[in-house]
Amino acid sequence: MLADITVVERIAERGGRAGAIGDVVFRAVTFLFALLVLLILGGVIVALVEGAVPALRTFGFSFVLTEVWNPVTEKFGALAAIYGTLVTSAIAMLVGIPVAFGVAVFITEICPLWLKRPLATMIELLAAIPSIIYGIWGLFVFAPFVQQYIQPAIIDSLGQIPGFGALFAGPPLGIGVLTAGFILAIMVLPFISSIMRDVFETVPAILKESAYGLGATRSEVVRQIVLPYTRTGVIGGIMLGLGRALGETMAVTFVIGNAHRISASILQPGTTISASLANEFTEAFGDLYRSSLIALGFILFIITFVVLAIAKLMLLRLQKRAGG
Amino acid sequence: MNPTQAAARVAMPLAPSDPHVTDPEPTPRQKAVIRNVDFFYDNFQALKNISLPLHDKRVTAFIGPSGCGKSTLLRILNRIYQLYPGQRATGEVLVDGENILSPGLDLNLLRARIGMVFQKPTPFPMSIYDNIAFGIRLYERLPHSELDDRVESALRRAALWDEVKDKLRQSGLSLSGGQQQRLCIARAVAVQPEILLLDEPASALDPLSTQRIEELIAELKADYCIAIVTHNMQQAARSSDYTAFMYIGELIEFDETERIFTHPKEKHTEDYITGRFG
Amino acid sequence: MDLYARRRIANGVVMTLSVAATAFGLLWLVLVLWTLLENGVAAITPALFSQMTPPPGSAGGLLNAIFGSVVITLIATLIGTPTGILAGTFLAEYSRGSRFGEVVRFINDILLSAPSIIVGLFVYEVMVVRMGHFSAWAGAVALAIIVVPVVVRTTEDMLNLVPNALREAASALGAPKWKVIVMVSYRAAIQGMVTGVMLAVARIAGETAPLLFTALNNQFWSTDLNAPMANLPVVIFQFAMSPYADWQTLAWGGALLITITVLFLNIGARMLASWSTFKQ
Repeated sequence: MLADITVVERIAERGGRAGAIGDVVFRAVTFLFALLVLLILGGVIVALVEGAVPALRTFGFSFVLTEVWNPVTEKFGALAAIYGTLVTSAIAMLVGIPVAFGVAVFITEICPLWLKRPLATMIELLAAIPSIIYGIWGLFVFAPFVQQYIQPAIIDSLGQIPGFGALFAGPPLGIGVLTAGFILAIMVLPFISSIMRDVFETVPAILKESAYGLGATRSEVVRQIVLPYTRTGVIGGIMLGLGRALGETMAVTFVIGNAHRISASILQPGTTISASLANEFTEAFGDLYRSSLIALGFILFIITFVVLAIAKLMLLRLQKRAGG
Repeated sequence: MNPTQAAARVAMPLAPSDPHVTDPEPTPRQKAVIRNVDFFYDNFQALKNISLPLHDKRVTAFIGPSGCGKSTLLRILNRIYQLYPGQRATGEVLVDGENILSPGLDLNLLRARIGMVFQKPTPFPMSIYDNIAFGIRLYERLPHSELDDRVESALRRAALWDEVKDKLRQSGLSLSGGQQQRLCIARAVAVQPEILLLDEPASALDPLSTQRIEELIAELKADYCIAIVTHNMQQAARSSDYTAFMYIGELIEFDETERIFTHPKEKHTEDYITGRFG
Repeated sequence: MDLYARRRIANGVVMTLSVAATAFGLLWLVLVLWTLLENGVAAITPALFSQMTPPPGSAGGLLNAIFGSVVITLIATLIGTPTGILAGTFLAEYSRGSRFGEVVRFINDILLSAPSIIVGLFVYEVMVVRMGHFSAWAGAVALAIIVVPVVVRTTEDMLNLVPNALREAASALGAPKWKVIVMVSYRAAIQGMVTGVMLAVARIAGETAPLLFTALNNQFWSTDLNAPMANLPVVIFQFAMSPYADWQTLAWGGALLITITVLFLNIGARMLASWSTFKQ
């Protein structure tokens, strides 16, 4: 067939067997590293549990319900930290979700084409800024501003309402739960907004066009067509943002005030789980103190894991529906 | 004879590519025999009991309406379907007497003997030179000059050398659609296969490029056993020696091209050829 | 008021609120960057890059912190990138529809959004406690754990974009699967993968929490990877929370440095991504 050595002979010398071994090795190596991802998560859980066990065994379930946090008498309770984590995140969601929604609607429905990419990029840069930057900005710029102008205004207006006003009582300190929640909102909104945007763009154009064709206004199309269609994805995105807010450390640490107590007023200082860890862990003395802090970390891990798992499942469901 | 063909003659004295030269193999030998082959996509049977021969140094065309299984059949010949779980073939395909459907067969070696060109051009994201050399380097360790010669001769065979000889280091993606497809053909012949499988090679190209590809096939058939799938009947009538007409997974008729297109035995074949359906 | 007029007003309100929301979001971006520049520029002097972190009340620079950050980030990237690429390759090329692949993907996405302080805690328990001291190695490992899920995600996504026809063409030439992946799929996806690595580096460049209990901090110049090492984020944390004006100025300077680096990497990654799609 060919003048010189046949190809088959050359092949048998080199390619065949080396290829087969290469395949086995490569597949095994990639499998091992994929397994490593699982092991990392497993390791995190094991390490946290191991570290938290002394504290949990000492205090039992009341650990989660006690507000007291006294390193000197070695009485620790997670309630203040959990409360702070939940309240700051709630404030972040209350402020962040509507704004994120507005941004998403603007970029997908109103914005002229040439502005879309640069605007989307700018909003995403908000998310790229490291949280410690927000932290020191919050401490040196935002908190004083809030203390001088915003908080007095709130106290004089909302704070005067009987009953409800207790939420806004106390001297204007600048730092506190409200300030921390607000900064969290700014950090979390680009994240939620970009997920909302991606999800809004999956709505088929013909669906929107049929609504416009019937004479619907833009806001009606958004509220009655886009939102219901993307409901699952939007909720998934919100929960992802919530997961972010719950775990956020540095921005909150600078401005929350680090007081292990629960106040009715959101103008007062408080603490969150991550802020407590950041502030106290390296100086914690005694095994029980350190173990209590790790127990706090474990609780945070569980909370964020549950939130993130729900978010992931919801987004998966939307993907399947959109024909993924 | 154009300059390309003359040069090819000089480079490879064993290639009788001039159609006026008497065919040294007047009695075609059966290179491959497909025997009682069934094919399944999971539980769906896509091919039913296909049996036909592929002759060496001849072009066998597969025609039929969409979904009849012609591409599926082609992809059995180099077992490329094996990349996907759930797809399986039963029966026998004998290449030079050896059943290539047997489970223990080394697929990589098989595919070095049976080359394939796909419907859409698929240049690798590397230079033109590296595209051609890719297959060669898999199995042979050649000195630089010899590799250069092999790349050049492959590009000449695909009638692409003149157009790319000054830009061998440029990316394969920088070529036009027709050139990219000729690049893929050059890539396939560079490893010196015995059988060439062409899956609708010109369907994504403009008419001029299509014509050049057909001319190429006419030249290449002097050295390879070629199986081509085409939805263009005129192309089959022009380019092939044997034609197989398939319909919904079955082989309706297989014969010499001239006979199929002038005196088809089956009514079904005649209906398809005269355009009554499909 | 008739129905149509009410609808038009409702539309106007919603649209105005959207515009307002966008302006609101942009406002904070501008404010933060502006004050960062304003306060940080004062600290950008040659001394910043040539002197070590000083004791309170004296002048100094951030050289040891910059060096430490670069070293720790580099090691973290070197550890995390191959790990992420290989795991992502497994998910894209070998785990079609398998249960194991789904689980790994799910866990990877959880790790992607997990609080970074938990990662720091984990590495503390596993490395710092075992070794008996803080170290730059521990800091690098903590950051690597943050890099891995990002790289896994982008690698998998980019490899999934490589058309199957390209893989088939390489297999049809007789290439074994691993060569198809390494010599064809990787080359086709390289730009996206590099973008992913750049974004991962941008992410860890500013991370503070994982370093708090692992690399800790170091007042002096040190190249010992087995000891605590100075790094920008923790220095900023310490100096900003302090009452000393010199320290606070240095903190702003460090913050500006980090922000510039992160923004460059982000914008660079975006430009790389759009350049590659333009080229094809």
